[in-house]
This record gives sequence, C-alpha cells and structure tokens, in this order.
Amino acid sequence: MKIAVLIKDVPDLVEELELTEEGRLAVDDMSFVPSEWDDQALEEALILKEGDAGSTVTAVAIDTGDVDNMLFTALAKGADRGVKLVGDFNREMSNRARAEVLAHYCHTEGFDLILTGVQAIDDLDGQIAGLVAGRLGAAHASVVRDVALGSTSVTCIQEYSGGKMAELRLTVPAVLGIQAAQKTPRYVTVSKVRQMQKSASLEEIEGESSEAPALEIRRLYPPVASSHAEMWGDDVEELADRIVNLLEEKKLLRS
Amino acid sequence: MTLRVFLMILTVAMIMGSAALFIRRILTIYHVMQKARPVNRTDRLGERIKSVLVQVGLHRRMFRISFSGLLHYFIFSGFIILLIDVVETLGEIFFPGFTVGPILAPLVDIWVILVAVGILMALYNRLVIKPERFHGSDEKDAFLILGLIGAIIVGIVIHDSFFPFVAPEVLHVADPVARAHFLGYAVSRLWVVLGWTGPTAASIGYAFGYLLDMGVVFAFLAYLPYSKHLHIFAAVPNIFWRNLEPAGQLVPKPIEDTMAIRTFEDLTWKDVADLYTCTECGRCQAVCPAHAAGQPLSPKMIILQLRDALNDRLADKNPNAEYPDLAGGVIAPEELWACTTCGACQEVCPVFIEHVPKIAGLRSALLEDGIVDPNAQKVLMSWDRQGNSFGQPGRKRPLWAKGIEVPIKDARKEPVDWLWFVGDFASYDPRVQHLTQLIAKMLTQAGVDFGILYESEVNSGNDALRIGEYGLFESLAQKNIDALSKAQYRRIFTTDPHSLNALKNEYPKFGFQAPVMHYTEAFLELIDQGRLVVSPVPIRVTYHDPCYLGRWNGITEAPRQLMARCGVHLVEMPRHGAQSFCCGAGGGRIWMDETGIADRPANQRIREALALPDIQFFTVACPKDVSMFSASVTAMGVEEKVRVVDIAEILAVAIGLQAESSLALMTV
Repeated sequence: MKIAVLIKDVPDLVEELELTEEGRLAVDDMSFVPSEWDDQALEEALILKEGDAGSTVTAVAIDTGDVDNMLFTALAKGADRGVKLVGDFNREMSNRARAEVLAHYCHTEGFDLILTGVQAIDDLDGQIAGLVAGRLGAAHASVVRDVALGSTSVTCIQEYSGGKMAELRLTVPAVLGIQAAQKTPRYVTVSKVRQMQKSASLEEIEGESSEAPALEIRRLYPPVASSHAEMWGDDVEELADRIVNLLEEKKLLRS
Repeated sequence: MTLRVFLMILTVAMIMGSAALFIRRILTIYHVMQKARPVNRTDRLGERIKSVLVQVGLHRRMFRISFSGLLHYFIFSGFIILLIDVVETLGEIFFPGFTVGPILAPLVDIWVILVAVGILMALYNRLVIKPERFHGSDEKDAFLILGLIGAIIVGIVIHDSFFPFVAPEVLHVADPVARAHFLGYAVSRLWVVLGWTGPTAASIGYAFGYLLDMGVVFAFLAYLPYSKHLHIFAAVPNIFWRNLEPAGQLVPKPIEDTMAIRTFEDLTWKDVADLYTCTECGRCQAVCPAHAAGQPLSPKMIILQLRDALNDRLADKNPNAEYPDLAGGVIAPEELWACTTCGACQEVCPVFIEHVPKIAGLRSALLEDGIVDPNAQKVLMSWDRQGNSFGQPGRKRPLWAKGIEVPIKDARKEPVDWLWFVGDFASYDPRVQHLTQLIAKMLTQAGVDFGILYESEVNSGNDALRIGEYGLFESLAQKNIDALSKAQYRRIFTTDPHSLNALKNEYPKFGFQAPVMHYTEAFLELIDQGRLVVSPVPIRVTYHDPCYLGRWNGITEAPRQLMARCGVHLVEMPRHGAQSFCCGAGGGRIWMDETGIADRPANQRIREALALPDIQFFTVACPKDVSMFSASVTAMGVEEKVRVVDIAEILAVAIGLQAESSLALMTV
C-alpha cells in the first residue's frame, strides 16, 4: 500500500514556555521536537511497511519552520520519501488550514492509507485526520491502534470506556488518527540521520492552500494556581498523627 | 638400522602432516585478519618488546592469581625446555651421535618434574577448587591438553630410559648424557632388573617412548590451532600487539561511516587475533561486575561466542549460507547492554584481549537497528536535544552556581586560569550539587582564577560513545570543542572522571589538546603549593577507585595522597586501584532497566567495605559514585554503619570550610 504519514513539530516542553508581551508564544526562542503522537504514527507506518514488502511510506510535513531534520529523521528510520510542503506557512497555522494543504497534496498523490498522530500538545483538537479524510472523501477513524493491512482495506482497534473494544475495518483510501504504535518508536542514530542528510534529498512541493475559517486566540496565559500543597514537616510522630487524623476525617479508616 | 629408518620415516611423515594442518589453519585465520579493519599495532617496538618480556617472561598478570600463575609458569616454561628435548630426540635418530650436552640434558628432567607438578596443580584447580571463572569454558579440552602434556613428559622419560641401551647396541653410538637424564637413568635401572635391555626390547621401549613424545608433540601441533591452545603461539604476538594508546580511548580515529560491528570484517585484525588467543581462563568473567550481578554477560563468553561463530562460518562450504546477526543473534542484546564498560576484563586479561571496543561496536549495531533500552533511548534523545542526561533545559545547567556567595566567572566572556568542565551529574543532580558548590568555594579559598562555560557546556559524550552512539558523541564533542575553542584558559579541571576521560582521551582525535586535571590532582597540587592549608581530619576511610579515573586513566595515587595530606587513615578494600570493582553505573548502565540484576554491584561494593574493620566512611571521587553508593547504603539500610563521602567533603573540613560534624554518620 502507498502509505503517507503526516507529521509536524511542537514546542519542546522541557524548556519553559515563554509568552510575548502580546500574549503569544515566543516561538523564536523555543526549540521544537517532533510531535509525540506523529512519532507513533510514523512508527506504526514503518511497522506496516516491514510487514508488507510492497508498501511505501512517505513522510509529509508542512514547512512551518525547521522541519528538514524531522523529515530526514523519518527517512533514516526507514521512510521511503520525505515531502516538504512549502509556501507561506508559519507555526501559528490552524489545523483547518493545515488540513487544506495536506489534503490537497494527498489528493494529488493518491495514497491508500494516511496516518497521523491522534492529536498534538499544541492543538488538542485531534481534527487533522478527520478534516483530511473529509476533504478527500476517504474513510476515517481516530484514537486507534494496531493497524493491519488487507488487500483493499485496513483494520484497526478502537478502545472505549467501560472495557469495550472495537475492531474496525475501513476500505481504502482511509485516514487514521493513531493513538499509539505497536511498539515504542524506534531510535535512530545521529550518524544515520546525518548520512541521510548527505545522501538523500527531500521533495519540496508547493503547498496549495485555500481559505479556511479560523479561530482567534484572544490571549495565552499560564494557569493560575487555585490552591497550594501544605507541607507537614519532618517530625515522624506528628506526621503519623496527622495522617491518621486525615484518614479519619475523610472516613477512610474502618474500625 | 631398521629402528632408525622406521622412526625417521614416521617422523618425517608426522612433521609434514602436522605442519600442513597447522599452516592451513593459520592461513585461514590470517585471511580473516587480512579482510578485517586496519589498526596500527606495530609501532613503538621497544615498548612492545618490553611488555612481551614482562607479561610472558615474568607472567606479570598471570601471577595475580598465584596458584594458577605458578602452575601455568611450570607448564609454560616446560614448553621452552621441550624444545631442547625435541632437538635432542630428533638429533638422536637423524644424526647418530648428536647430543645436547651434559648441561641442557638434565634441564629436561628438572622441567619434566615441574611440568608434572604443574599438571597436578592444574587438575587440583579444575577438580577440587573449581573456580567459577571456568564456567562456560571447554573443560574437556583443558583435560585433553593436560593429558597430552602428561603423555609427552612420560614419553620423554621412557625414551631417555631406553636410550642408554639403544645407543650402543642398535645405533652403535655412545650416550654421554645417559646419567644426566637423571629421571630416565633412574627408570633405566628398572629395565635392567626386568632384563629389558637387549636390542629388541630396548628398541621397542625406545620406539614407544619416542612416539609418545614426538607423536604427541606433532599431534599437538596439528590440533593446537583448532583449539583454545592456540594461545601457546598466539599469546606472544597478541601481547606484542596490545593497545599502547591511552587506555581510555575507545575510538582511535574519527569514524567516517559507523562504528557498528555487523560482520567479522567490521572487527579490527587485532580483534580477530583476540578471538583466537583467548585461553578461556575466565579471569575476565571473575572480575566482571555485570556477571557478579547475575546478569547474562560474561566477557569471556562474548569472545568465545564470536570465535565459535567465526569458526562455524569458516567451516561452512556453502557461500550463500545465512548466519544470525553478530549483535542480537550470536550475542544476545541483554549480554551487550549489561556491560558497564568498566574495563576490569581488559585489565585482568593475561593475553591482552580487548573486550570493551567489541562490545561497544556490537552495541552500535543494536542501536542502529533500534534495539536499545527505552530509558537509555530517552537519555540519548535528551543528550541530542538538551545536551544533558537529565532531560533538563540547557539553560538550567549553571543553576547550581546561583545562590552561593562565590562569584563564578563566565569563561566564554573573560580569560580564566582554570576552566572547569562541570559535567551533567555535578551540574544537575540535586544529590551532587552541594558538592559542586563546595568545590567552587574551595577553589575560591585557594585563590584559583576559574570559570565555567555556563550553558555552552554539554555532556562530554563519553557514555554516548560507550552506548555505541558515535554520531551523537561526535556532535556533543564538537559543541564542547567549539565552546572551549572560544574560551581562554590554561588548563581544564573537572570533578567528573567520565568527562575527564572524554576530554583527555576521546577529543584529541578531533584535534583538541589541553591539559585536563581531575580535582583530586588539582587540589593536591594546591596543597603542595601551600595555597590551601590543611589540618588533620583523623578519620578511618576506605576509598573506591572510579573506573574512569583509576583503571582507564591511571589516576590512583592523587586521591590517596590528597586524603593522606588531610590526615585521613585509608584502609584499602581487597579490590582497589586498577583492580577496583565497578559501581555499576558506567557505559550508560545508570539509565538502563535493572531487570535481571540479582545483586547490584554497588551493594556488593558496600559489603566489601563493611567487611573492613572500623570503617565509617566510604570515600569516592566521582559524582556518579555519590549517587550510586548513597542509594545502595540507603537501600541496604546501613546508614548507621557507613557513610558515602566525596573526597571534596573531607578536604572542605581539612581547610576549615566545613565543620568536622558535617562528616558525622547518619543516626536514626
């Protein structure tokens, strides 16, 4: 199958996020890492490719900044093609707008299966898979895992609350929002990525964008703490008494 | 005459047969070595010859286990004396009247006795003492060889005992050394009593002894290169080819493509020689911390598994045969990831086999295939993204320097005398930061003009390299080298042996050169220059040599002298100096899963210290050791008996920076 994985990068939360005076993320001072869920989607795609000799994996990213390294990393991990959709794009691009660009490209390529991370830490709307599927008129499922390839369809697992699971079958073309890959995303060595940068090249394709309704972020701000932890000190006797009291108070002790 | 002709024909046939088998095998191995990676191991001739004399002639490393050393010395020296016997015996038959003379002849008999003693000791060792280190070795082969050696010495005595009769009556020559072969002569008295001195009886007896001696010698020669006993020939060259570069340098030259070992051609030719030199003695296994912890790793088995896999491939006539991967197939990932790269195996190997570079290369192959401990993977990614193993922002690296009263210069902005390369643990680990601050205060007290690289410093890459991630190591090294090249300083100073090792031994391949000192060396110098005045701290301590300080960099004296200057009474643990026992943290182990560890090396080490009389302090000189051993003391619940103390803390008391009460034991 011809598989595409839609990937993007997100702020590295190891660094403290800073806001500009205008209440925007100070993106220029931040470092970015591949979105964790997209990494899972890529891993799932690579596993599928390994299990099916005829499949190819294309990693696709919109050029919203420095995405080359992320695409070369995908190639080093085993993707066949790395595609960078270039144009007048920036990191504040909404998912609606992203989906337009991605869907347009995917339409021209005619992928059988498109995987992407179920969501990303910087949007939390989980809409990319659904929007792209809608624009392509393709089958869609999100929050899924354990994808398996059939001849003209794919199956996957969706897990519901209350201990229920569903096995879904989708006729291709299909778009899936991946919750987790079958195993931890693989490590790729720095030298392998570097070799890729030397030996392989990314396909730069002009991204076609069309108007999409947008949300306006009125302000970004750190959450305000509503209460604080109380420190009980280190006197063992006193601590023990207080713990017992608390348990009694909350009616957690049975006599 | 028939006896001579018979023995001559037989001897020539045996020589040709065994030489053919011997040469064929040696050529096969030589071809493998030819295809392997290059490495320069024939420089510095003088040093190499000296090392062969010391290690072979004096058995320096062999004698670290006295019983085994002695028995081996007997048998080993017997092989040299055997040459006299071979010359003499062949001479007797091929050139009638030949003799080695009355001085060399009795030497043979003396050594027959010593070899016999050696064989008995070896049997005692293998049957009664049964050291664990032999576990996994081919013991049948060992007994076979002992049997063959036994046959040779019996043969020697037998043919010597019949020669006084054969010489005059069959060969018609004199036997001037009959009595010099005192063992043979003694046995010959028995033949006189039995009346076996006539031409026929003596000829049969002589031929039997001759064939037992020469026959086994040549059979041995043919068999040797197919067994572990190839070390009889391979040990000398292998010791000659030993690594004379700094021990702590894992990779001698920048690597263009990959350090991964996937095929035997990815080994260096010395690595191939190592495989065929291994004697299966298991000394490496006996000192391996991973093995002692109950993990599946034995350095010996790594070598043997590689050798056996190579032999299988050499024996296989099918050119298209598929073989299991070396990393992950021949050697299990669990074995490779268990290694702490402490180097105890290499330090103890009597034939100078280098285990660690092979393990690192095999790890690299696993890593390229994505087979790596998930926690280690996280750390690799943190090094790549943040430059430290703690997954903390690079900006937080110098946070320890805030809130202490001494100013710390920014070596990127102004020249300093000493540039302090702080390292990850000393910078980020909350259990170690107070020591880092203490060091800063002591440097200030000594009037040292020092500075740090602030957030421009990244992890040295020492452990990344040992995990097998060469590319990451190189990129970390390059970042540090860039930052260092912009700073002005006279020397580099560090508390971290892992950083020290990288800066001193791994960075020079990128053209970086600077004097690097461990803090124990630097503070010793400050005391001796009178820049720090110490008053005695009369405590009894034992000291743990960090692998990357003591074994890999030979810095064992400075920490001891520094403690001596502080008036500390040091009691050594049985394993110390270059023979120290790893804490279990090196080679990336500190971040890996502990599943399968039955008995942590650090706990074993604390027990070793507790077995010493009246030891209250376990001193260390490595930030990772502070974390590792403190955790062990807590986990073992022995806080009331022993306390882990960095040498810096003792020095701080000695120079009056901290009260002596700061060294008190924990009391609950």
